[in-house]
Amino acid sequence: MNIQKTMSLMEKLTILSAAAKYDVACTSSGVDRKGNGKGMGNTIAPGICHAFSSDGRCVSLLKILFTNECIFQCAYCQNNCSNDVPRASFTPEEICTLTMEFYRRNYIEGLFLSSGILVSPNYTMELIYHTLYKLRHEHQFHGYIHVKAIPGADPLLIRQTGYLADRMSINLELPTSAGLHSLAPNKSRRTILKPMRQIQNGIAENKDELAVYQKAPHFVPAGQSTQMIIGATPEHDYEIMRVTESLYQKFGLKRVFYSAFVNVNQNEKLPMLPGGPPLLREHRLYQADWLLRYYHFSVSELLSEDRPDFNLNLDPKCDWALRHLDLFPVEINRASYQTLLRVPGIGYKSAGRIVKARRMNRLDFSDLKKMGVVLKRALYFITCSGHMMYRTKLEENYIFENLMRDRTQIPVGLRNSSYQQLTIWDV
Amino acid sequence: MYVFLCENSIEGIFTGVYDAWASRYGHRNIRLSLDTPDTYELFCEYIQVTPDLEKSRRIGRAICSSFGYEVYQDICQAIMAAGKEKKKALDKADCVYRTILLGFAMHDGHRVLTALGEPYVARVFELARTTNLEAHHLMGFLRFRELENGVLFSAIHPKNDVLPILGEHFTDRLPQEHFMIYDATHKTAAVHKAGSPFFIADVTDLNEALIQNVSAEELEYRRLWCAFFESIAIKARQNPKLQSQNIPKRFWQDTVELC
Ligand code: SF4
Repeated sequence: MNIQKTMSLMEKLTILSAAAKYDVACTSSGVDRKGNGKGMGNTIAPGICHAFSSDGRCVSLLKILFTNECIFQCAYCQNNCSNDVPRASFTPEEICTLTMEFYRRNYIEGLFLSSGILVSPNYTMELIYHTLYKLRHEHQFHGYIHVKAIPGADPLLIRQTGYLADRMSINLELPTSAGLHSLAPNKSRRTILKPMRQIQNGIAENKDELAVYQKAPHFVPAGQSTQMIIGATPEHDYEIMRVTESLYQKFGLKRVFYSAFVNVNQNEKLPMLPGGPPLLREHRLYQADWLLRYYHFSVSELLSEDRPDFNLNLDPKCDWALRHLDLFPVEINRASYQTLLRVPGIGYKSAGRIVKARRMNRLDFSDLKKMGVVLKRALYFITCSGHMMYRTKLEENYIFENLMRDRTQIPVGLRNSSYQQLTIWDV
Repeated sequence: MYVFLCENSIEGIFTGVYDAWASRYGHRNIRLSLDTPDTYELFCEYIQVTPDLEKSRRIGRAICSSFGYEVYQDICQAIMAAGKEKKKALDKADCVYRTILLGFAMHDGHRVLTALGEPYVARVFELARTTNLEAHHLMGFLRFRELENGVLFSAIHPKNDVLPILGEHFTDRLPQEHFMIYDATHKTAAVHKAGSPFFIADVTDLNEALIQNVSAEELEYRRLWCAFFESIAIKARQNPKLQSQNIPKRFWQDTVELC
């Protein structure tokens, strides 16, 4: 521990932010809270991105580990106890200072605190609790805090911490318990799902408390989220999305994040990924996730035992529409909101605008454009007052070819490099 | 045709709306326009509108009470947008005027901005969105530096007049800080003294020496932030195109980590 004392704040920050970066969640969304006029900070529901790192990801929170010393041995994690990496730990005061000073310079929207497991789950959870307590009460910080619940920690500690945080998360890590068993031997589905359930119940009880007594303290007001690593174990998209669906429905999660597996440890249990991390696959999973949360789709409509993986070439909604051409075209001036949601090129916001605007005027294609509809994608699937935008065939191959010419099917940056993302599981 | 020439500001355009209404020339014979046109048309009478706080307030109140605060806010944000005035037929001032007229003609004025089938409403909607988006971007991308005297200072170069939105946001967020956000495009600044409301001031000559004089710790926190920013990126996911799509290059100069 001698090394630690002489370590500068700069060194610690470098080590403990690099160690935290594979946690993909960085959103500061989900809660509106005005400043209180005394301390520092507020939050706004859509969240705010403060920077974008060179991998293009949003940087919103000071994302760090309390410590990267860890007694566990998760094969995919660079902090696992058998790895030879530099180790460091913050003090609670150091975390508070960094958070406050970064926040007042508007570098960040708040803190995302996670941690390796130092000594024991309880010991670690207590350090985290202590840090948040200091930040909220001594430093009067009212900005956003996302905190990790440590699997296996005392429920009481998790509960107390939840009253100080905006969002809590416990990572599911791998989509199936078999995967977890082989790669994270010290963790189990049970120690992950138990606190997840506890937080869910805590949020529900808190709603009741708040209904009765408005000044009751808020418990995890921005909800809980989790993360799964994609491509480290051989699950298909179908299994992953079914897990996601039940996390939303049965555990009331706000968000599920997907993290394309990056092989940092060269462990023989892990797949080599010659094409780099499966970024395009991860992208399709996020798109499908949106379809579940905002577009009233269910997983069984998108995938099945026989078609267990998403088409990497097309976004899942286009792919679905092409397999259901009998439902199209739909008439913009008549179709229900639910039907509009299913049209490729129409987002949920534009669908809402269409429904409102058509009460006043008949809409045509130029109006749709102003409402944010992507016509080059939607035109095959819609009519305005009975007319299509121009003559087109309602035929799968024809539309597929045209959609593929539309470069937006593959997001920027993934176009050249990872068109073919073969992982060993694909072959 | 009567053309009311308004100054490009909330007060200017609202006064124009007031004067146009009060003139009783009939809405079909009236047009609002921003500032002096290059060529005067024949058979048009041009009327110069002098911004008037009282008239502008009245219009503001009428919009608020008839259409609700949200619509009021959107209309103000539309006016705050720079709005390239290449589309002659869709002059910003005139679009605002026609939108307000439509609102009063409607059964439920709260819904006026959903009538996107009307080109002038669509224009107001689009302008409001532009301002809003830029303000939201800057809520994240602007950076404060701590000056020697403890004041937080920030310089930005926005296209639209987003300072009122930012001033409100940061006053709520940093109530106990003295801060100043300098808008170098419009030469204005939002100034906030700890514990008070903020105000907007014209700034013609900024004291360059003063704002370069940063506090002793300032450079240390910048270095820490840049180190964090570097180490948080995942090299295996390097994607500069996505990065510059998410944070357009024009914002880079005023950040700490990218400039
Ligand atoms: S518990 Fe596992 S995933 Fe977490 S830091 Fe330790 S080794 Fe890494």
